[in-house]
Amino acid sequence: MSFEKKLALVTGSGRGIGRAIALKLASQGADIIVNFFRRRETAEQTAKDIQALGVKAEVIRANVGDLAKIDEMFDIIGNKFGRLDILINNAASGVGRSVMDIDVKAWEWTMDINVRACLLCAQRAAKLMEGRGGKIVSISSLGSFLVWPTYAIVGVSKAALEALTRYLAIELAPRGICVNAVAASFVETEALKFYFDEALNKDNLPVTPAGRMVTTEDVAKVVAFLCSEEAFMIRGQTIIVDGGFSVSSPLVSFKKKD
Amino acid sequence: MTVEEQVREIVAKITHVDKGIITRGSTFKEIKADSLDVVQALVAVEETFGIEIPDEDAQKFQNFGDFVSYVESRVAQVEKV
Repeated sequence: MSFEKKLALVTGSGRGIGRAIALKLASQGADIIVNFFRRRETAEQTAKDIQALGVKAEVIRANVGDLAKIDEMFDIIGNKFGRLDILINNAASGVGRSVMDIDVKAWEWTMDINVRACLLCAQRAAKLMEGRGGKIVSISSLGSFLVWPTYAIVGVSKAALEALTRYLAIELAPRGICVNAVAASFVETEALKFYFDEALNKDNLPVTPAGRMVTTEDVAKVVAFLCSEEAFMIRGQTIIVDGGFSVSSPLVSFKKKD
Repeated sequence: MTVEEQVREIVAKITHVDKGIITRGSTFKEIKADSLDVVQALVAVEETFGIEIPDEDAQKFQNFGDFVSYVESRVAQVEKV
């Protein structure tokens, strides 16, 4: 796989899964636009690490939950590069609440960032991908169909994102754009600590049948594959990266034999 | 309106509390601001004053007074430039 001369925008790529995806695509030759919202230092560090791989990196701050900021970001990309080959909808947010505590503000905040932004970014990206055969990959979560404590809003937003992925895949296919999603189970990131700090610690994190937790690199490898021509015939799918977690029975222990 | 008054108005509007109860010593918990309220207040203040407040800095705020002092110093820097 080579992404030489390709330009990729990875939203929310200062840290966690987004950073791993940005570095993976960069390691295969892509120039990267590092988008961030709240933490400039980590975004600048990701850009430095990308440049160290011998490709270009551009940092753009934008809250993708804000329509005007999405427009500003794509105006910068359009004016500076005039093209885009890969869009990774990775930026996500959410408010950890049980269903009875969800209010409109928390709902709209989460939906605007986790779903609406993916639609708006895809619309703008598709225009910059015209005649280039672009790739769009969105990052989902097993919480789209599994129920986790206080994860309701995010889970619902991810279910909507997966549905959006199918619609985008079909409607953008005539433009030569491939659209898919990747859903991971528990990945050790700051976001995991944010949602599950009290419920999970290193000792009781669920072990997967594969014998370990999913890493950010595991997710990045699959995203890179979906961005490659080898994945050309995969459209509108949500690829699950969970070491077998979601298809395993809770009655069976997966602890490794010593 | 001073910087402090403007920040107080923004925070009161987002958290739906009477701005009269927000003093420099008030913690975000006392103002009943959850994590989403805090982020939305930061964003609103950024847009009002044309500054950027990274989370790395915001995490150091112990109370409303710390927030105001930070915004005041950033606004002063912008005015110098």
